[in-house]
Amino acid sequence: MNIYAKLAYTILGFLIVLNWGFLMGATMRKIGARMAGRHGIPFKQPWINLFKSISTRTVITHGIMYYIGPVFRLTGGIGLFLFMPMVFTGSPDGPWTNFSFEGDLILIMYFNVFGMLGMALGAGEGGHPYAAMGITRGLAQHAAVELPLTLAFLSIAIQFDTFSIYKIVEAQQGGIMHWVLFTNPFAAAAIILAMLGALGHSPFNLVKAPNEILIGPATEYEGTYLGFMMSAGATLHVMEAVLFMNLVFGGATSWLELIVKSFLIYFWSVFVGMVFPRFKIEQSVTWFFKVPLLLGVLAVIIFMF
Amino acid sequence: MEYIDLGHISLLIGFLLILVGFWGVLTQKNIIKIIVGFSILNTGINILIVSLGYVKGKTAPIIDNAVAQTGYHDVSASVVDPVPQALVLTAIVIGFGVTALMLAYAMKLYKAKKTLEINKFNDLKW
Amino acid sequence: MVTPIFIVATALGAGFAIGVLNKFGKNFTGGLVLAAITFMTFISYQWFSAFQFGDQTPEYVYTAGFMPPLSINLLMGHYEAFVTLLINFAGLLGGIYMFNSLKNRGSNAQVVYLIMLMGLNVMVMTRDIFNLFVFMEVSSIAIAGLILLEKGTRSMGAGFKYILATSIISGFLLIGIIFAYYFTGTLNLDGMIDANLSGIKGGAVAVFMIMIAIILELKPFPANGWGLDLYEGSNAGFSAVVSAASATASFFVLSKVMDIAGPEWYYYISLIGAVTFVGSNLLGIKQENTRRMLGYSSIGQLGLLMLILGFRDILGDQTPYIVFGILISHYMAKAGLFWISGIVKSKGLKGWAVIRKKPFFLFLMGTFIFALIGFPPFPSFFAKWTLVMELVKTGNMAWVVAILFGSMMEAVYLFRWFGYAIKGENEHLEDFKIEIHKIVPVWMVAIGLYVMGYFTAQFTEVGAEINFIPLAFVGLLLALDFLPVFVKNTIAIAGMLAYSYFIYPDLEGDTLRLIFEGIFMLGGILALIAGYAYKGTRAGFYPVAILMYAGLTGIIEAKTTLEFFYGWELMTAGSYFLIIRGKRSMPHGLSYMLFSIGGAYALLAGLGIAHVGQDSFAMDIINNIQYIPYWAYGLLIAGFLTKTAAVGLHIWLPGAHGEAESDVSPMVSAILLKAGVFGVVLALIGMGAENNQYTELAYALGWLGAITAFVGNLMAIFQEDAKRLLAYSSIGQLGYIVFGLAMMTHLGWLAGFSYVINHFLYKAVLFLTIGAVVMRVGTHNMYEMGGLIKRMPLAFVAVMIGIIALSGVPPLSGFTGKWLFYNAVLEKGWYLQGALFSFSGILAFMYLWRLIHTVFLGQLKDNHRNVKEISIWFLIPIYTLIAGLMVYAAKPEWILQPLGNMIAQFFPDGQLIWDGGTAISKYGQWSGSLIGMTIGATFMTVLIWLMLSTRKAHKVKQFDITYSGERPERPETTHVAYNAFEGLYKAMWVATIPLVETFWDRVTNILHDTAGFTRRLYSGNGQAYMLHIVFFILITYLVIIGG
Repeated sequence: MNIYAKLAYTILGFLIVLNWGFLMGATMRKIGARMAGRHGIPFKQPWINLFKSISTRTVITHGIMYYIGPVFRLTGGIGLFLFMPMVFTGSPDGPWTNFSFEGDLILIMYFNVFGMLGMALGAGEGGHPYAAMGITRGLAQHAAVELPLTLAFLSIAIQFDTFSIYKIVEAQQGGIMHWVLFTNPFAAAAIILAMLGALGHSPFNLVKAPNEILIGPATEYEGTYLGFMMSAGATLHVMEAVLFMNLVFGGATSWLELIVKSFLIYFWSVFVGMVFPRFKIEQSVTWFFKVPLLLGVLAVIIFMF
Repeated sequence: MEYIDLGHISLLIGFLLILVGFWGVLTQKNIIKIIVGFSILNTGINILIVSLGYVKGKTAPIIDNAVAQTGYHDVSASVVDPVPQALVLTAIVIGFGVTALMLAYAMKLYKAKKTLEINKFNDLKW
Repeated sequence: MVTPIFIVATALGAGFAIGVLNKFGKNFTGGLVLAAITFMTFISYQWFSAFQFGDQTPEYVYTAGFMPPLSINLLMGHYEAFVTLLINFAGLLGGIYMFNSLKNRGSNAQVVYLIMLMGLNVMVMTRDIFNLFVFMEVSSIAIAGLILLEKGTRSMGAGFKYILATSIISGFLLIGIIFAYYFTGTLNLDGMIDANLSGIKGGAVAVFMIMIAIILELKPFPANGWGLDLYEGSNAGFSAVVSAASATASFFVLSKVMDIAGPEWYYYISLIGAVTFVGSNLLGIKQENTRRMLGYSSIGQLGLLMLILGFRDILGDQTPYIVFGILISHYMAKAGLFWISGIVKSKGLKGWAVIRKKPFFLFLMGTFIFALIGFPPFPSFFAKWTLVMELVKTGNMAWVVAILFGSMMEAVYLFRWFGYAIKGENEHLEDFKIEIHKIVPVWMVAIGLYVMGYFTAQFTEVGAEINFIPLAFVGLLLALDFLPVFVKNTIAIAGMLAYSYFIYPDLEGDTLRLIFEGIFMLGGILALIAGYAYKGTRAGFYPVAILMYAGLTGIIEAKTTLEFFYGWELMTAGSYFLIIRGKRSMPHGLSYMLFSIGGAYALLAGLGIAHVGQDSFAMDIINNIQYIPYWAYGLLIAGFLTKTAAVGLHIWLPGAHGEAESDVSPMVSAILLKAGVFGVVLALIGMGAENNQYTELAYALGWLGAITAFVGNLMAIFQEDAKRLLAYSSIGQLGYIVFGLAMMTHLGWLAGFSYVINHFLYKAVLFLTIGAVVMRVGTHNMYEMGGLIKRMPLAFVAVMIGIIALSGVPPLSGFTGKWLFYNAVLEKGWYLQGALFSFSGILAFMYLWRLIHTVFLGQLKDNHRNVKEISIWFLIPIYTLIAGLMVYAAKPEWILQPLGNMIAQFFPDGQLIWDGGTAISKYGQWSGSLIGMTIGATFMTVLIWLMLSTRKAHKVKQFDITYSGERPERPETTHVAYNAFEGLYKAMWVATIPLVETFWDRVTNILHDTAGFTRRLYSGNGQAYMLHIVFFILITYLVIIGG
């Protein structure tokens, strides 16, 4: 496939992901509202928010880092998409594999932080302590989540003897029983639990804490910046779900399958969030250090003997 | 007198004096008494030295009438070993020097603290 | 040739002459004393040079015209000539030093001084045992008299105790002598040897009496309270003479009399020596009084010499060399220290801070202390090296342990003292006066130490000129220390450039060494450029910095293990001085020094074991260790790990790096730590690299590395001091490196080496930048900073690039290491350690964010509203290093391919495959430049889009923002750096308990308590001291004869 076709497919894929992200977000809000007995937002609300944000007249800046913070964030989202094989078509050079040939699972794991870091720095320059508070909480929880996740990722890499996401997906083809969910249950269980933290819904959403004083980096940004960040958020939600889908749930052979699977994966975290109240940071950190960590260690230990 | 000759007696006395000297040095608290203990100790050692060089029936290694009285014609055979005797002389001189120095110290110490208790002179310790 | 009897005659003659001539005044008689001693020294020297440089044979001098045993005979041999030379020279210098003290006490004191020296000379030369007794008594009486040179009851008490103790001892000696005579019929030493005294029935007791008395003269622990009092209570100048001359003479007497005792005594002499060495040095650590502490040290050194003497059959030909090295160092250094103590006149250790008012005294003090501990280039270094090598070779490991433990204790108190002198408060202290006649002897021995060091080195591989060129450069910088920084900095940089150019051809082709040499030299030059930012003369900085680099390059160039150790110790010395320059560095400097010395001793022992069964000292002997190799490699690695600050051995690092000066922190962090890594690399290559048979050791090392990474990174999160944060981060990063190397695979090493280079680059950037910021804002505390991006944008960018690289986020170079690590972990199967490593990496985000946020982001502090951008002299090296980081990020293959080729020499299997810029491993692939381009393109697209849509962005100033409508009571609590990561801390506080610190605290406390308890033995009561002597004799008797 020549580079132009590749680019065209990639841009198309990104548009799908972005819009699916918005729609999925709205759906989850809607489900949440209905459970609480409210009517909830209309499905088109995320697009309205986006257009409202990017067309505000007042744009302020606190300085250069503040200015490029959202750029980092969105680059992080897009980059994650670029390095991720989306739809499995039987060839690593297929139309929806984006630029995943440049790296592997390790790249995804570390590039994940790129956007967070930039956003944290940008919000920091704004100077509001709430932003910084959200970030410290976020980083602490992130570390606790990543430990079981990393163990599970390692376990899967050991299982298939590769770090290539494409090869992991390929190895899971041929029926539901080939999914990591069944072939490597410990790793899958660790991921399913740790994923709750990675997706950042209640009980692990103190970082954003929408019900209390609004804290977290998002407090610092409005207008166009917020629009960028919402786009990045929508992309990241889908991409994280796709990552787990690729690693545990057999990947996707079509966009429809991708949409269904990512919806279910994302819904899992929303579902838990509906049921459980929010944790304080020390509670969530210790929570991840208990069962998910144990599962992660087990997932690795079984390969040591 | 057949079994206990002069050499043995003086050897015994020498050891006894050494022990007495040690006892005095290690138990007496008064500095002067300690110095006396040293003197006794030295005397004991000196007697020991002389008695080890003693040979029964021989006289002092001084060439005078006593040598002739022993009845030996060879002078060297008629006297006891001269070396210990010489050593004792030296040892006595040294003992004298040490005792003098100790007494000088005792004087100075007494002047400084108006006491001769050795326990009191422990400015330097640990 | 003047016959040696003239030594005695001169002393006696001058003594009588003084009695007659004292009407000419005390200056005249004092001059006469000095003239007499000079002549005595000359006689000894004449004989010594005849033995040393000519082919003189030993000569007997017979007195009274008879042959022994009828007369007394003196022997003048090679050793006698040397020892009398030492005694007379010490007497001469001491005489000069005490010229006024002696004069004030009158001509009698001058005579007594001469007589004492004469006594010591005869003790050395005589071959008649009764004569020996007489002159021991003569010198004892003279010493007891001369103690009174110092006025006051303290010296009186000391003198009286001294005479009591020596009288008891001489009583035993005399009894022993008379029995020896009784059994052999002679008083001549040679006659007794011929008669085989100890073999005669009953003779053993005589031998025991003589030997024990001679040993007691050397003040064995613990029957030595009187000796300590002597050192503490008498005139400082006189303590020096006792330590240098009298102790040396007694030591020689022991070596002489040992011949009649026979080899069965040797073991016990060593045992008593070892007990004395360890015991006195242990008790020394509790001392607060300088003079008494030096006394403990003197006695300890004599113990060490006794130990060596007992091993003379085993050490064989090496004995004189070892004894010479230890003896001459102790002789000169201890005399020098006693003399300085008389000039500085501070009883307590803390008062020594006053010495800084005359900086060259600090130099002298440092010289003596480093010589005592056995640092290069002093003779004791070479002697200790040879001693340990020989002892290990002959399987006497327990003795080596005792020697190293005792030396370690000695280092504890000497360096604590030195620390007070360098860093203590001294404003309130009154300056001390210098009299010219007192300073001359000190200079003489200080210069003597360097000369002797050079001389001693000539017998070893280090003797080559090349090992002294860097030292000469250090000396040059020391001489030029009065020049302004600008000039010295230029000289230093020019010197390092020239040296790098000069040394490059030697290393060409050896990639491994080139990498480290590059880090040391280029890193050093870059760090030195930052030095231009300093004003004034920056006294003392350049010699020690260059000393460290001299050591660093020394370990790279080392062809033999001795050269390696030599360089290692030079580096330790230099870095110690660099570290202790920081404002609050005293305790950290001390703990750095102690861990370094401990590490160096582990290294010494390891190298000693490596030498067993080998003919040479070439570096490659560590590749083939034949004797207990597990221990050898374990010790070597433990030694190196003290420098890389592996967990457990890390507690020195945070303070040392955190409190160091701004441009010193990068030197000791980014550069110095790599010396430890280099050592670990050598040890691992030695373990067989690919064919490693010591898998357990590597496995343990792997865990240690992972735990170090975890602990270092976790602790870094909770630091409120920016430089300490970076310091803990270094611990963590070094943990990664150790972990990578311990994997012993191609990928593991590649990952480790990629971290070596990366850590050098970004840690230098971070430390330089933060250091420069600290110079501007005047605080390390992060909560006192904030918003500095507005004032120092270039510094901010540097830190941002540094932390992105450190955190391993693509596209910068840190990701290289992460990617390689995961592949290596998967290949090796060290999953759990790998997960810990990975978790550490995630923890790193927290402290990195904390660092950049709290310093550069958030609200600008009022008092920083006018600070300037960091100095251009810091920006130059910082951006040079950043350029390096960028090249590494853009073209990783440029660095990783040569690295891979180098590592392939040791680990040919499992190499990366390179497809252009794409690295392909068994498990995945990664293309540094393509990723960089992809991310860059995306970033630029998004940025341009943002810029297009926000053309009218309104710039908000700091005070446009309301601040919760209230002014907080405690402003620091609103700062995020205050109690940051509270939630994480509550969850993970268990892991932050300073177990290691607690452990080392306990160790310290146990040592201190033991010392504090044991030293109560020295009650200060003269009678008790005599009792100690008697008990010592009884116990020794039971052990040796009764047992």
